[in-house]
Amino acid sequence: MAKSPSFIGSLKPAGPESLTNLVIIVLALVFFGTFLFYTDIDSIIVFYLFYCFIFIIIGQGWNIVAGYTGQISLGSHAFFGIGAYTTAIIWLRDITHTWYFFDPLVMFLSGLAAAVFAVIIGIPILSRLRGDYFSFATLAAAQVFTVLVLRGGKLTEGAMGLRIPGTLFEDLGIYYWTGLLLAILATAAVFFVTRSRLGLALRAISEDEMSAASHGISVLRYKLIAFAIGAFIIGVGGNLYAYYIFSISPPAVLNLNWLFYPILVCILGGNGTIGGPVIGGFVVGAIVVFSETLIGRVHPMVSGVLIILVMKFLPTGLIGLKAKVFQRH
Amino acid sequence: MHLLEGEGVSIHFGGLAAVSDVSFYIDQGEVLGLIGPNGAGKTTLFNLISSCYVPRPGILKFKGKNITGMSPYKICRLGIARTFQTVKIFANMPVIDNVRIGSLFGNTRSPASAEANQQSIELLEFVGLSRVMNTPARDLTLANQKRLEVARALATKPELLMLDELMAGLNPTEVAQAMDLVRQIRDKGITIIMIEHVMKAIMSVCGRIIVLHHGQKIAEGTPQEIANSKTVIEVYLGE
Repeated sequence: MAKSPSFIGSLKPAGPESLTNLVIIVLALVFFGTFLFYTDIDSIIVFYLFYCFIFIIIGQGWNIVAGYTGQISLGSHAFFGIGAYTTAIIWLRDITHTWYFFDPLVMFLSGLAAAVFAVIIGIPILSRLRGDYFSFATLAAAQVFTVLVLRGGKLTEGAMGLRIPGTLFEDLGIYYWTGLLLAILATAAVFFVTRSRLGLALRAISEDEMSAASHGISVLRYKLIAFAIGAFIIGVGGNLYAYYIFSISPPAVLNLNWLFYPILVCILGGNGTIGGPVIGGFVVGAIVVFSETLIGRVHPMVSGVLIILVMKFLPTGLIGLKAKVFQRH
Repeated sequence: MHLLEGEGVSIHFGGLAAVSDVSFYIDQGEVLGLIGPNGAGKTTLFNLISSCYVPRPGILKFKGKNITGMSPYKICRLGIARTFQTVKIFANMPVIDNVRIGSLFGNTRSPASAEANQQSIELLEFVGLSRVMNTPARDLTLANQKRLEVARALATKPELLMLDELMAGLNPTEVAQAMDLVRQIRDKGITIIMIEHVMKAIMSVCGRIIVLHHGQKIAEGTPQEIANSKTVIEVYLGE
Protein backbone atom coordinates (compact mmCIF):
# COMPACT_ATOMS: atom_id res chain seq x y z
CA MET A 1 0.00 0.00 0.00
CA ALA A 2 1.58 3.26 -1.19
CA LYS A 3 1.19 5.69 1.65
CA SER A 4 3.11 8.67 2.92
CA PRO A 5 2.97 8.74 6.71
CA SER A 6 2.44 12.48 7.10
CA PHE A 7 -0.78 12.45 5.09
CA ILE A 8 -4.13 11.19 6.18
CA GLY A 9 -5.51 11.42 2.67
CA SER A 10 -6.82 8.69 0.43
CA LEU A 11 -5.06 5.37 0.65
CA LYS A 12 -5.37 4.90 -3.07
CA PRO A 13 -2.01 4.88 -4.80
CA ALA A 14 -1.34 7.86 -7.05
CA GLY A 15 -2.86 7.08 -10.43
CA PRO A 16 -2.56 8.65 -13.87
CA GLU A 17 -5.26 11.15 -12.97
CA SER A 18 -3.25 12.71 -10.17
CA LEU A 19 -0.30 12.87 -12.57
CA THR A 20 -2.46 14.86 -15.02
CA ASN A 21 -3.44 17.18 -12.18
CA LEU A 22 0.20 17.67 -11.25
CA VAL A 23 1.08 18.55 -14.84
CA ILE A 24 -1.81 21.04 -15.00
CA ILE A 25 -0.74 22.63 -11.71
CA VAL A 26 2.90 22.97 -12.81
CA LEU A 27 1.91 24.42 -16.20
CA ALA A 28 -0.45 26.90 -14.53
CA LEU A 29 2.21 27.96 -12.03
CA VAL A 30 4.78 28.44 -14.79
CA PHE A 31 2.28 30.38 -16.89
CA PHE A 32 1.13 32.73 -14.13
CA GLY A 33 4.60 32.93 -12.63
CA THR A 34 6.08 34.27 -15.87
CA PHE A 35 3.02 36.08 -17.21
CA LEU A 36 4.11 39.59 -16.25
CA PHE A 37 7.44 39.21 -18.05
CA TYR A 38 5.84 39.17 -21.49
CA THR A 39 2.72 41.27 -20.86
CA ASP A 40 2.23 45.00 -20.69
CA ILE A 41 1.72 45.79 -17.00
CA ASP A 42 -1.04 48.28 -17.81
CA SER A 43 -2.99 45.70 -19.79
CA ILE A 44 -6.54 44.98 -18.69
CA ILE A 45 -5.53 41.32 -18.51
CA VAL A 46 -3.34 42.04 -15.48
CA PHE A 47 -6.21 43.89 -13.86
CA TYR A 48 -8.49 40.96 -14.72
CA LEU A 49 -6.11 38.43 -13.19
CA PHE A 50 -5.81 40.50 -10.01
CA TYR A 51 -9.58 40.33 -9.67
CA CYS A 52 -9.54 36.60 -10.38
CA PHE A 53 -7.02 36.09 -7.58
CA ILE A 54 -9.26 37.94 -5.14
CA PHE A 55 -12.19 35.79 -6.24
CA ILE A 56 -10.16 32.61 -5.86
CA ILE A 57 -9.09 33.66 -2.35
CA ILE A 58 -12.58 34.47 -1.09
CA GLY A 59 -13.97 31.48 -2.96
CA GLN A 60 -11.60 29.13 -1.14
CA GLY A 61 -12.55 30.78 2.14
CA TRP A 62 -16.20 29.98 1.50
CA ASN A 63 -15.36 26.58 0.05
CA ILE A 64 -13.86 25.23 3.26
CA VAL A 65 -17.01 26.06 5.22
CA ALA A 66 -19.72 25.35 2.64
CA GLY A 67 -18.03 22.86 0.34
CA TYR A 68 -16.21 20.70 2.85
CA THR A 69 -18.18 21.20 6.07
CA GLY A 70 -21.64 21.61 4.51
CA GLN A 71 -22.41 24.88 6.32
CA ILE A 72 -23.80 27.55 4.00
CA SER A 73 -22.42 30.78 5.44
CA LEU A 74 -23.98 34.05 4.31
CA GLY A 75 -21.62 36.27 6.26
CA SER A 76 -18.69 36.50 3.85
CA HIS A 77 -19.11 40.23 3.27
CA ALA A 78 -18.61 40.91 6.97
CA PHE A 79 -15.34 38.95 6.98
CA PHE A 80 -14.24 40.70 3.81
CA GLY A 81 -15.13 44.08 5.30
CA ILE A 82 -13.38 43.31 8.58
CA GLY A 83 -10.24 42.43 6.65
CA ALA A 84 -10.37 45.72 4.75
CA TYR A 85 -11.27 47.87 7.77
CA THR A 86 -8.63 46.24 9.96
CA THR A 87 -6.03 47.09 7.34
CA ALA A 88 -7.18 50.72 7.21
CA ILE A 89 -7.43 51.14 10.97
CA ILE A 90 -4.02 49.62 11.67
CA TRP A 91 -2.48 51.80 8.98
CA LEU A 92 -4.17 55.09 9.84
CA ARG A 93 -3.56 54.71 13.57
CA ASP A 94 -0.01 53.58 13.01
CA ILE A 95 -0.46 50.59 15.28
CA THR A 96 2.16 48.09 14.17
CA HIS A 97 4.93 50.54 13.17
CA THR A 98 5.67 48.52 10.06
CA TRP A 99 5.43 49.64 6.45
CA TYR A 100 1.68 48.84 6.09
CA PHE A 101 1.51 48.79 2.27
CA PHE A 102 1.53 45.08 1.36
CA ASP A 103 2.83 44.38 4.81
CA PRO A 104 2.61 40.67 5.71
CA LEU A 105 1.96 41.49 9.34
CA VAL A 106 -1.01 43.69 8.48
CA MET A 107 -2.30 41.00 6.11
CA PHE A 108 -2.10 38.44 8.86
CA LEU A 109 -3.79 40.70 11.40
CA SER A 110 -6.59 41.47 8.92
CA GLY A 111 -7.26 37.76 8.50
CA LEU A 112 -6.97 37.23 12.24
CA ALA A 113 -9.52 39.95 13.00
CA ALA A 114 -12.01 38.25 10.67
CA ALA A 115 -11.28 34.89 12.27
CA VAL A 116 -11.82 36.31 15.76
CA PHE A 117 -15.14 37.79 14.65
CA ALA A 118 -16.05 34.40 13.17
CA VAL A 119 -15.37 32.70 16.50
CA ILE A 120 -17.35 35.32 18.41
CA ILE A 121 -20.45 34.96 16.25
CA GLY A 122 -19.77 31.28 15.56
CA ILE A 123 -19.98 30.03 19.14
CA PRO A 124 -23.61 31.08 19.72
CA ILE A 125 -24.73 30.45 16.13
CA LEU A 126 -23.07 27.11 15.57
CA SER A 127 -23.92 25.66 18.95
CA ARG A 128 -27.64 26.37 18.52
CA LEU A 129 -28.49 26.54 14.83
CA ARG A 130 -28.24 24.14 11.93
CA GLY A 131 -28.80 24.24 8.20
CA ASP A 132 -30.86 27.15 6.90
CA TYR A 133 -31.07 28.72 10.34
CA PHE A 134 -27.31 28.83 10.57
CA SER A 135 -27.23 30.53 7.15
CA PHE A 136 -29.71 33.22 8.09
CA ALA A 137 -28.02 33.84 11.42
CA THR A 138 -24.69 34.45 9.69
CA LEU A 139 -26.42 36.90 7.35
CA ALA A 140 -28.03 38.65 10.32
CA ALA A 141 -24.71 38.85 12.18
CA ALA A 142 -23.04 40.32 9.10
CA GLN A 143 -25.79 42.93 8.77
CA VAL A 144 -25.41 43.83 12.45
CA PHE A 145 -21.71 44.30 11.82
CA THR A 146 -22.49 46.59 8.86
CA VAL A 147 -24.65 48.77 11.07
CA LEU A 148 -21.92 48.86 13.71
CA VAL A 149 -19.48 50.10 11.07
CA LEU A 150 -21.94 52.77 9.90
CA ARG A 151 -22.35 53.92 13.50
CA GLY A 152 -18.69 53.45 14.33
CA GLY A 153 -17.92 57.11 14.96
CA LYS A 154 -14.26 58.11 14.68
CA LEU A 155 -13.08 54.54 14.37
CA THR A 156 -14.80 53.79 11.05
CA GLU A 157 -16.00 57.25 9.97
CA GLY A 158 -19.47 55.87 9.24
CA ALA A 159 -20.73 55.88 5.68
CA MET A 160 -17.81 58.06 4.55
CA GLY A 161 -15.36 55.33 5.34
CA LEU A 162 -11.61 55.47 5.77
CA ARG A 163 -9.04 56.54 3.20
CA ILE A 164 -5.61 55.01 3.22
CA PRO A 165 -2.75 56.81 1.42
CA GLY A 166 -2.96 56.08 -2.31
CA THR A 167 0.30 57.76 -3.14
CA LEU A 168 2.24 54.52 -2.93
CA PHE A 169 0.55 53.14 -6.03
CA GLU A 170 2.93 52.65 -8.97
CA ASP A 171 1.56 49.90 -11.12
CA LEU A 172 -0.33 46.64 -10.76
CA GLY A 173 2.86 44.56 -10.47
CA ILE A 174 2.81 44.08 -6.72
CA TYR A 175 -0.95 43.53 -6.81
CA TYR A 176 -0.53 40.77 -9.34
CA TRP A 177 2.27 39.01 -7.46
CA THR A 178 0.68 39.29 -4.04
CA GLY A 179 -2.70 38.21 -5.42
CA LEU A 180 -1.13 35.23 -7.14
CA LEU A 181 0.79 34.24 -4.03
CA LEU A 182 -2.26 34.56 -1.75
CA ALA A 183 -4.48 32.64 -4.19
CA ILE A 184 -1.92 29.84 -4.24
CA LEU A 185 -1.62 29.92 -0.44
CA ALA A 186 -5.40 29.88 0.03
CA THR A 187 -5.77 26.97 -2.37
CA ALA A 188 -2.88 25.12 -0.77
CA ALA A 189 -4.33 25.76 2.70
CA VAL A 190 -7.65 24.22 1.68
CA PHE A 191 -5.82 21.33 0.03
CA PHE A 192 -3.82 20.53 3.14
CA VAL A 193 -6.81 20.93 5.42
CA THR A 194 -8.81 18.45 3.37
CA ARG A 195 -5.96 15.96 3.44
CA SER A 196 -5.59 16.23 7.20
CA ARG A 197 -7.35 14.80 10.21
CA LEU A 198 -9.30 18.05 10.40
CA GLY A 199 -10.51 17.59 6.82
CA LEU A 200 -11.71 14.09 7.58
CA ALA A 201 -13.74 15.43 10.50
CA LEU A 202 -15.19 18.22 8.35
CA ARG A 203 -16.28 15.80 5.64
CA ALA A 204 -17.86 13.54 8.24
CA ILE A 205 -19.81 16.51 9.63
CA SER A 206 -20.99 17.52 6.17
CA GLU A 207 -22.24 13.97 5.55
CA ASP A 208 -24.02 13.32 8.84
CA GLU A 209 -23.63 15.38 11.99
CA MET A 210 -25.29 12.90 14.30
CA SER A 211 -23.18 10.06 13.03
CA ALA A 212 -20.04 12.18 13.25
CA ALA A 213 -20.79 13.10 16.86
CA SER A 214 -21.48 9.47 17.71
CA HIS A 215 -18.00 8.57 16.50
CA GLY A 216 -16.17 11.00 18.72
CA ILE A 217 -16.09 14.13 16.56
CA SER A 218 -16.75 17.35 18.45
CA VAL A 219 -19.06 18.84 15.84
CA LEU A 220 -19.11 22.35 17.31
CA ARG A 221 -15.34 22.54 17.66
CA TYR A 222 -14.60 21.45 14.11
CA LYS A 223 -17.32 23.60 12.56
CA LEU A 224 -15.90 26.54 14.47
CA ILE A 225 -12.37 25.82 13.27
CA ALA A 226 -13.57 25.61 9.66
CA PHE A 227 -15.59 28.80 10.07
CA ALA A 228 -12.57 30.63 11.50
CA ILE A 229 -10.18 29.39 8.80
CA GLY A 230 -12.67 30.41 6.11
CA ALA A 231 -13.09 33.85 7.71
CA PHE A 232 -9.33 34.26 7.95
CA ILE A 233 -8.90 33.56 4.23
CA ILE A 234 -11.73 35.92 3.26
CA GLY A 235 -10.35 38.58 5.63
CA VAL A 236 -6.99 38.42 3.86
CA GLY A 237 -8.91 38.86 0.60
CA GLY A 238 -10.43 42.01 2.08
CA ASN A 239 -6.98 43.25 3.01
CA LEU A 240 -5.76 42.80 -0.57
CA TYR A 241 -8.79 44.60 -1.93
CA ALA A 242 -8.25 47.47 0.53
CA TYR A 243 -4.80 48.10 -0.96
CA TYR A 244 -6.45 48.34 -4.33
CA ILE A 245 -9.40 50.66 -3.64
CA PHE A 246 -7.75 52.83 -0.94
CA SER A 247 -11.17 54.10 0.11
CA ILE A 248 -12.65 51.65 2.58
CA SER A 249 -16.34 52.31 3.08
CA PRO A 250 -19.45 50.20 3.64
CA PRO A 251 -20.63 50.50 0.00
CA ALA A 252 -17.22 49.35 -1.22
CA VAL A 253 -16.31 46.45 1.06
CA LEU A 254 -19.50 45.55 2.93
CA ASN A 255 -21.93 45.44 0.03
CA LEU A 256 -23.72 42.20 -0.66
CA ASN A 257 -21.64 41.50 -3.77
CA TRP A 258 -18.95 40.24 -1.43
CA LEU A 259 -21.49 37.80 -0.08
CA PHE A 260 -22.48 36.58 -3.55
CA TYR A 261 -19.08 36.45 -5.26
CA PRO A 262 -17.60 33.63 -3.17
CA ILE A 263 -20.81 31.63 -3.56
CA LEU A 264 -20.81 32.15 -7.33
CA VAL A 265 -17.15 31.22 -7.54
CA CYS A 266 -17.74 27.95 -5.71
CA ILE A 267 -21.04 26.99 -7.34
CA LEU A 268 -19.84 27.76 -10.87
CA GLY A 269 -16.47 26.13 -10.40
CA GLY A 270 -17.45 23.20 -8.24
CA ASN A 271 -18.20 23.40 -4.54
CA GLY A 272 -16.25 21.11 -2.25
CA THR A 273 -13.36 20.60 -4.65
CA ILE A 274 -9.88 22.12 -4.64
CA GLY A 275 -9.86 23.16 -8.29
CA GLY A 276 -13.47 24.34 -8.46
CA PRO A 277 -13.01 27.77 -6.87
CA VAL A 278 -9.91 28.32 -9.03
CA ILE A 279 -11.88 27.76 -12.23
CA GLY A 280 -14.85 29.64 -10.77
CA GLY A 281 -12.58 32.56 -9.86
CA PHE A 282 -11.49 33.00 -13.47
CA VAL A 283 -15.06 32.73 -14.76
CA VAL A 284 -16.56 35.15 -12.23
CA GLY A 285 -13.57 37.44 -12.74
CA ALA A 286 -14.34 37.50 -16.46
CA ILE A 287 -18.01 38.22 -15.83
CA VAL A 288 -17.23 41.07 -13.45
CA VAL A 289 -14.35 42.65 -15.35
CA PHE A 290 -15.26 42.22 -19.01
CA SER A 291 -18.99 41.96 -19.27
CA GLU A 292 -19.62 45.62 -18.41
CA THR A 293 -17.56 46.71 -21.43
CA LEU A 294 -18.53 43.88 -23.76
CA ILE A 295 -22.25 43.48 -23.22
CA GLY A 296 -23.04 46.59 -21.20
CA ARG A 297 -25.83 46.79 -18.73
CA VAL A 298 -27.29 43.35 -19.36
CA HIS A 299 -24.42 41.60 -17.63
CA PRO A 300 -26.16 40.88 -14.31
CA MET A 301 -28.82 39.12 -16.37
CA VAL A 302 -26.26 37.11 -18.27
CA SER A 303 -24.49 36.01 -15.11
CA GLY A 304 -27.84 35.13 -13.55
CA VAL A 305 -28.78 32.96 -16.51
CA LEU A 306 -25.33 31.41 -16.48
CA ILE A 307 -25.71 30.41 -12.84
CA ILE A 308 -29.10 28.84 -13.45
CA LEU A 309 -27.76 26.90 -16.43
CA VAL A 310 -24.74 25.66 -14.52
CA MET A 311 -26.84 24.55 -11.56
CA LYS A 312 -29.31 22.83 -13.86
CA PHE A 313 -26.87 21.02 -16.12
CA LEU A 314 -23.67 20.94 -14.09
CA PRO A 315 -24.61 20.65 -10.44
CA THR A 316 -21.02 19.67 -9.67
CA GLY A 317 -19.76 22.87 -11.30
CA LEU A 318 -17.46 23.40 -14.25
CA ILE A 319 -14.93 21.03 -12.71
CA GLY A 320 -17.58 18.33 -13.00
CA LEU A 321 -17.28 18.66 -16.79
CA LYS A 322 -14.06 16.71 -16.65
CA ALA A 323 -15.73 13.68 -15.12
CA LYS A 324 -18.57 13.92 -17.65
CA VAL A 325 -16.17 14.09 -20.58
CA PHE A 326 -14.07 11.20 -19.30
CA GLN A 327 -17.14 9.02 -18.75
CA ARG A 328 -18.03 9.14 -22.43
CA HIS A 329 -14.78 7.48 -23.46
CA MET B 1 -20.67 -1.85 39.87
CA HIS B 2 -22.57 -2.15 36.63
CA LEU B 3 -20.96 -1.14 33.35
CA LEU B 4 -23.97 0.95 32.38
CA GLU B 5 -26.90 1.82 34.54
CA GLY B 6 -30.06 3.81 33.88
CA GLU B 7 -32.32 5.06 36.67
CA GLY B 8 -35.85 6.12 35.82
CA VAL B 9 -34.88 7.21 32.34
CA SER B 10 -37.66 9.11 30.55
CA ILE B 11 -38.17 11.37 27.59
CA HIS B 12 -41.28 12.99 26.19
CA PHE B 13 -41.84 14.24 22.67
CA GLY B 14 -44.76 16.62 22.99
CA GLY B 15 -47.43 14.60 24.73
CA LEU B 16 -45.89 11.27 23.84
CA ALA B 17 -43.85 9.46 26.46
CA ALA B 18 -41.35 7.82 24.12
CA VAL B 19 -39.43 6.31 27.01
CA SER B 20 -41.03 6.37 30.42
CA ASP B 21 -39.32 5.61 33.73
CA VAL B 22 -37.11 2.82 32.43
CA SER B 23 -34.47 1.50 34.81
CA PHE B 24 -31.93 -0.98 33.55
CA TYR B 25 -28.36 -2.12 33.94
CA ILE B 26 -25.80 -4.03 31.95
CA ASP B 27 -22.72 -5.79 33.27
CA GLN B 28 -19.30 -6.23 31.75
CA GLY B 29 -19.26 -9.05 29.19
CA GLU B 30 -23.04 -9.39 28.85
CA VAL B 31 -25.04 -9.51 25.65
CA LEU B 32 -28.30 -7.75 26.44
CA GLY B 33 -31.23 -7.93 24.04
CA LEU B 34 -33.72 -5.10 23.72
CA ILE B 35 -36.98 -6.07 22.06
CA GLY B 36 -40.47 -4.72 21.68
CA PRO B 37 -43.00 -3.84 19.01
CA ASN B 38 -42.40 -0.95 16.61
CA GLY B 39 -42.55 2.38 18.39
CA ALA B 40 -41.78 0.84 21.77
CA GLY B 41 -38.91 3.28 22.36
CA LYS B 42 -35.95 0.97 21.74
CA THR B 43 -34.05 3.26 19.40
CA THR B 44 -34.99 6.25 21.56
CA LEU B 45 -33.36 4.49 24.49
CA PHE B 46 -30.20 4.08 22.39
CA ASN B 47 -30.38 7.76 21.52
CA LEU B 48 -30.63 8.55 25.21
CA ILE B 49 -27.66 6.38 26.10
CA SER B 50 -25.54 7.91 23.33
CA SER B 51 -26.73 11.35 24.52
CA CYS B 52 -28.39 12.34 21.24
CA TYR B 53 -31.27 13.13 23.59
CA VAL B 54 -31.01 14.04 27.24
CA PRO B 55 -33.36 12.17 29.59
CA ARG B 56 -35.86 14.25 31.57
CA PRO B 57 -36.01 13.00 34.20
CA GLY B 58 -33.53 10.17 34.62
CA ILE B 59 -29.89 9.41 35.28
CA LEU B 60 -27.42 7.42 33.22
CA LYS B 61 -24.22 6.10 34.74
CA PHE B 62 -21.29 4.53 32.94
CA LYS B 63 -18.88 2.67 35.22
CA GLY B 64 -20.44 4.51 38.15
CA LYS B 65 -19.88 7.93 36.61
CA ASN B 66 -22.85 10.13 35.81
CA ILE B 67 -22.92 10.70 32.06
CA THR B 68 -26.37 12.32 31.80
CA GLY B 69 -26.33 15.26 29.40
CA MET B 70 -22.76 14.76 28.27
CA SER B 71 -21.99 15.62 24.61
CA PRO B 72 -22.44 12.66 22.25
CA TYR B 73 -18.80 12.80 21.15
CA LYS B 74 -17.63 12.52 24.75
CA ILE B 75 -19.90 9.54 25.32
CA CYS B 76 -18.24 7.87 22.36
CA ARG B 77 -14.78 8.65 23.71
CA LEU B 78 -15.74 7.21 27.08
CA GLY B 79 -16.25 3.87 25.37
CA ILE B 80 -19.87 3.66 24.26
CA ALA B 81 -20.25 3.09 20.53
CA ARG B 82 -23.35 2.47 18.48
CA THR B 83 -24.64 1.58 15.05
CA PHE B 84 -27.71 3.14 13.50
CA GLN B 85 -30.90 1.39 12.48
CA THR B 86 -31.22 3.65 9.47
CA VAL B 87 -27.68 3.17 8.25
CA LYS B 88 -25.75 6.39 8.81
CA ILE B 89 -22.47 5.64 7.11
CA PHE B 90 -20.56 8.51 5.51
CA ALA B 91 -21.90 7.56 2.10
CA ASN B 92 -19.61 9.60 -0.12
CA MET B 93 -16.42 8.58 1.60
CA PRO B 94 -14.42 5.48 0.81
CA VAL B 95 -15.15 2.54 3.12
CA ILE B 96 -11.74 2.79 4.76
CA ASP B 97 -12.20 6.49 5.62
CA ASN B 98 -15.43 5.66 7.44
CA VAL B 99 -13.51 3.33 9.72
CA ARG B 100 -10.54 5.67 10.08
CA ILE B 101 -12.86 8.34 11.45
CA GLY B 102 -13.88 6.01 14.24
CA SER B 103 -10.27 5.14 14.88
CA LEU B 104 -8.92 8.70 14.78
CA PHE B 105 -11.64 10.48 16.74
CA GLY B 106 -13.49 7.86 18.72
CA ASN B 107 -11.09 7.42 21.58
CA THR B 108 -9.35 9.72 24.03
CA ARG B 109 -6.07 8.18 22.96
CA SER B 110 -5.90 9.27 19.34
CA PRO B 111 -3.60 7.02 17.31
CA ALA B 112 -1.07 8.20 14.74
CA SER B 113 -2.42 8.10 11.22
CA ALA B 114 -0.39 5.06 10.16
CA GLU B 115 -1.63 3.19 13.21
CA ALA B 116 -5.21 4.24 12.51
CA ASN B 117 -4.89 2.97 8.96
CA GLN B 118 -3.54 -0.35 10.18
CA GLN B 119 -6.36 -0.72 12.72
CA SER B 120 -8.94 0.17 10.09
CA ILE B 121 -7.62 -2.41 7.65
CA GLU B 122 -7.66 -5.06 10.39
CA LEU B 123 -11.24 -4.20 11.34
CA LEU B 124 -12.36 -4.33 7.73
CA GLU B 125 -10.80 -7.78 7.50
CA PHE B 126 -12.60 -8.74 10.70
CA VAL B 127 -16.02 -7.81 9.29
CA GLY B 128 -15.13 -9.10 5.84
CA LEU B 129 -14.94 -5.87 3.90
CA SER B 130 -11.24 -5.64 3.11
CA ARG B 131 -11.83 -6.21 -0.58
CA VAL B 132 -14.00 -3.11 -0.96
CA MET B 133 -11.80 -0.83 1.12
CA ASN B 134 -11.57 1.97 -1.46
CA THR B 135 -15.14 1.78 -2.74
CA PRO B 136 -17.40 4.71 -1.86
CA ALA B 137 -19.51 3.48 1.05
CA ARG B 138 -22.78 4.28 -0.78
CA ASP B 139 -22.03 1.56 -3.34
CA LEU B 140 -22.09 -1.25 -0.75
CA THR B 141 -25.03 -3.62 -0.34
CA LEU B 142 -27.20 -3.11 2.74
CA ALA B 143 -25.61 -6.09 4.48
CA ASN B 144 -22.16 -4.68 3.84
CA GLN B 145 -23.19 -1.18 4.92
CA LYS B 146 -24.27 -2.68 8.22
CA ARG B 147 -20.94 -4.48 8.52
CA LEU B 148 -19.28 -1.16 7.86
CA GLU B 149 -21.29 0.43 10.67
CA VAL B 150 -20.04 -2.28 12.99
CA ALA B 151 -16.42 -1.87 11.89
CA ARG B 152 -16.67 1.89 12.30
CA ALA B 153 -18.15 1.55 15.79
CA LEU B 154 -15.50 -1.00 16.78
CA ALA B 155 -12.80 1.36 15.56
CA THR B 156 -13.63 3.65 18.47
CA LYS B 157 -12.45 0.83 20.78
CA PRO B 158 -15.68 0.67 22.77
CA GLU B 159 -16.31 -1.19 25.99
CA LEU B 160 -20.01 -1.11 25.24
CA LEU B 161 -21.38 -1.57 21.75
CA MET B 162 -25.02 -0.83 20.91
CA LEU B 163 -26.30 -2.59 17.80
CA ASP B 164 -29.56 -1.21 16.43
CA GLU B 165 -31.32 -3.79 14.27
CA LEU B 166 -28.18 -5.15 12.76
CA MET B 167 -30.08 -7.95 11.07
CA ALA B 168 -33.15 -6.16 9.78
CA GLY B 169 -33.45 -6.45 6.02
CA LEU B 170 -30.84 -9.17 5.73
CA ASN B 171 -31.45 -12.56 4.12
CA PRO B 172 -31.06 -15.78 6.19
CA THR B 173 -27.44 -16.34 5.15
CA GLU B 174 -26.55 -12.77 6.04
CA VAL B 175 -28.39 -13.09 9.36
CA ALA B 176 -26.30 -16.14 10.21
CA GLN B 177 -23.13 -14.24 9.32
CA ALA B 178 -24.24 -11.28 11.42
CA MET B 179 -24.91 -13.57 14.39
CA ASP B 180 -21.42 -15.00 14.05
CA LEU B 181 -20.07 -11.47 13.98
CA VAL B 182 -21.90 -10.56 17.18
CA ARG B 183 -20.50 -13.64 18.93
CA GLN B 184 -16.99 -12.81 17.78
CA ILE B 185 -17.35 -9.26 19.10
CA ARG B 186 -18.58 -10.65 22.42
CA ASP B 187 -15.58 -12.98 22.51
CA LYS B 188 -13.32 -9.96 22.18
CA GLY B 189 -14.65 -8.91 25.58
CA ILE B 190 -16.93 -6.15 24.33
CA THR B 191 -20.24 -5.77 26.10
CA ILE B 192 -23.21 -5.59 23.73
CA ILE B 193 -26.75 -4.24 23.82
CA MET B 194 -28.69 -5.20 20.73
CA ILE B 195 -32.08 -4.19 19.43
CA GLU B 196 -33.40 -6.91 17.21
CA HIS B 197 -36.58 -8.21 15.66
CA VAL B 198 -35.04 -11.44 14.44
CA MET B 199 -36.06 -13.61 17.41
CA LYS B 200 -33.85 -16.52 16.48
CA ALA B 201 -30.85 -14.22 16.74
CA ILE B 202 -31.93 -12.63 20.00
CA MET B 203 -32.72 -15.93 21.67
CA SER B 204 -29.47 -17.61 20.74
CA VAL B 205 -27.03 -14.74 21.35
CA CYS B 206 -28.38 -12.81 24.32
CA GLY B 207 -27.90 -13.78 27.92
CA ARG B 208 -30.67 -11.46 29.11
CA ILE B 209 -33.50 -9.63 27.42
CA ILE B 210 -35.46 -6.47 28.23
CA VAL B 211 -38.86 -5.94 26.63
CA LEU B 212 -40.15 -2.44 26.01
CA HIS B 213 -43.71 -1.55 25.15
CA HIS B 214 -45.11 1.99 24.77
CA GLY B 215 -41.93 3.34 26.30
CA GLN B 216 -42.15 1.19 29.41
CA LYS B 217 -40.19 -1.83 30.53
CA ILE B 218 -42.70 -4.64 30.74
CA ALA B 219 -40.45 -7.65 31.17
CA GLU B 220 -36.88 -8.64 31.81
CA GLY B 221 -35.21 -12.04 32.05
CA THR B 222 -33.41 -14.85 30.31
CA PRO B 223 -34.47 -15.72 26.76
CA GLN B 224 -36.36 -18.72 28.16
CA GLU B 225 -38.30 -16.60 30.66
CA ILE B 226 -39.15 -14.02 28.01
CA ALA B 227 -40.34 -16.68 25.56
CA ASN B 228 -42.70 -18.03 28.21
CA SER B 229 -43.83 -14.69 29.59
CA LYS B 230 -47.54 -14.09 29.26
CA THR B 231 -47.24 -10.31 29.09
CA VAL B 232 -44.70 -10.50 26.30
CA ILE B 233 -46.81 -12.88 24.25
CA GLU B 234 -49.83 -10.63 24.71
CA VAL B 235 -47.90 -7.60 23.56
CA TYR B 236 -46.59 -9.32 20.47
CA LEU B 237 -49.57 -11.41 19.46
CA GLY B 238 -52.54 -9.73 21.14
CA GLU B 239 -54.67 -11.39 23.79
